[in-house]
Amino acid sequence: MIRPTQLRRVGLGVFLASLFALLSDPAAASNAAVGLAGASQDNLAVPRWLYLATGGATVGASALLASFVTDRRFIDRVHRWRRSVGFAETVSRGLGTVGRLLGLALLALLVYLGYTGPQVPTVSFAIIVTFAGLRAGYTMFTYLVTDTWRVLNPWRTLTSLFPNGFVEYPQRLGRWPAVAGILVLVWVETAVGVTRQPSVLASVLVAYTFVTVVGAVAVGVDVWFDRVDPVSVFLQFYGRVAPIRVDDGGISVRLPGMRLVTDDDVTDIADVAVAVVLVWELTFSGFVTTEQGASVVSAVVDAGVPPLVVYAVVYLGGFAAFLGLYLLAARVTARRIETFETPRALAVTFAPSLLAIAAGYHLAHYFGFFVSLSPMLVGALSSPLSPPANPIVLTLPAWFGGLNVVFVLVGHLLAVWVAHSQAYRAFPSRLQAVRSQFPFVAVMILYTILSLWLISLPTASPPFL
Amino acid sequence: MTTDIDAKQDRHVCERCGEAYPAERLLVLHRGVRHPDDLDAGEVEAYREAYYEEERELKSFRIRALGVLVALYFGFLILFILFAS
Repeated sequence: MIRPTQLRRVGLGVFLASLFALLSDPAAASNAAVGLAGASQDNLAVPRWLYLATGGATVGASALLASFVTDRRFIDRVHRWRRSVGFAETVSRGLGTVGRLLGLALLALLVYLGYTGPQVPTVSFAIIVTFAGLRAGYTMFTYLVTDTWRVLNPWRTLTSLFPNGFVEYPQRLGRWPAVAGILVLVWVETAVGVTRQPSVLASVLVAYTFVTVVGAVAVGVDVWFDRVDPVSVFLQFYGRVAPIRVDDGGISVRLPGMRLVTDDDVTDIADVAVAVVLVWELTFSGFVTTEQGASVVSAVVDAGVPPLVVYAVVYLGGFAAFLGLYLLAARVTARRIETFETPRALAVTFAPSLLAIAAGYHLAHYFGFFVSLSPMLVGALSSPLSPPANPIVLTLPAWFGGLNVVFVLVGHLLAVWVAHSQAYRAFPSRLQAVRSQFPFVAVMILYTILSLWLISLPTASPPFL
Repeated sequence: MTTDIDAKQDRHVCERCGEAYPAERLLVLHRGVRHPDDLDAGEVEAYREAYYEEERELKSFRIRALGVLVALYFGFLILFILFAS
């Protein structure tokens, strides 16, 4: 007779062996941060297909291993574990005021120095702080530690000063405006040159401020920043992965990603689309900044298609494909198991696990970029008004490429566990809970293979942009 | 949770919370998991039975899953021996 403990031990062995096999793989991964290229490429000692297959198999095997855990009480204990610390109201009010002032000062400096500072990206306060600071570092802080954007957000502080909420927000729009907004912002980041020209970045910030103030005053501050504002929704969704949450009463600590299981924040298809868009935008910017992606784009443009059309088709088509694939998994699940759950309800149930994947991808795409630019960022933040003569960039050791593989996989493993816990909450039958995850795990394996492939390709700057 | 109202299959509806299931066994399991303190002796017995029946199915699933894991492990071991250099 085989006992579960033995099974678990064997399984752990398989998992560690595959992880080890992956880590010892010297496939040099490259950072795909837009506008900053320059990673080197070693020769592959393992053929690329084997490296990708191993990555996919690691996710699949860990899903099988998770399915050995059928003890509801244990699963419950894991996602309910929490520690809380309270603090005095004056402390939280003081921190709030400091955060709000900091946010406002930062926005003012970004716009002012964007126009008046040197128009060179590597010494520009606006570009360094926006991309190395907010896009990379602050977003990492948001999902690794805690979400503080609600306080820091200068636009919220600004619009709270005005009377607001004159128009009823149409509820059926849900968070679709935020999905569109995130797609537009990533498009602007890739195509408009905000990563190269500080004055363009400052103009975009001014335009964004204008739209936000008008919108928030019209529909109300809370509704706007909860449903429409792309930056807030982006950070709010990432923040759900974070172990720590700070509110007026104090700090509560949970295991990483476990809020995704219990909080039921994802309520409709628009929220699912937000989660998918977070995964997709990183995959897209990964794709267009690789040599292979660039040569595909060049080839299509040579055939006579305008470059922007090519990018737009890849961008929106890819997003539709990612979302479609995920919804297809929900449909297959609804058909495969005996249940009255609609495909839509299942898609909503399992969507939070996508956020763990997105966090893993974000870390893989931006960690090296953030570390290498961190001296520049510290320099910019400590003396905003005097740009350095010689900006310092750290050169990363070769094993940093291996870290990217680990980040992608860890994100997926967390997602597998989140999906497992969700399934146990949704289904009374343990066998159903196990079987309901398979189509979603298949989609996750596809996502894993795709992004491991992207980070193993050499980078190039996207053509025609 | 949203459920498909137009489903043509039999509906086994939980009398405590209104959740519907396409099979009696699923409803029995639902009662045991979601309303454990609220069952009479017959329902407890039914839950116990359904639970152990599922345990048997799970055991067979685990053995198959273990087979897949072993196949994956040795499959990849061989692939790495053949192709990694």
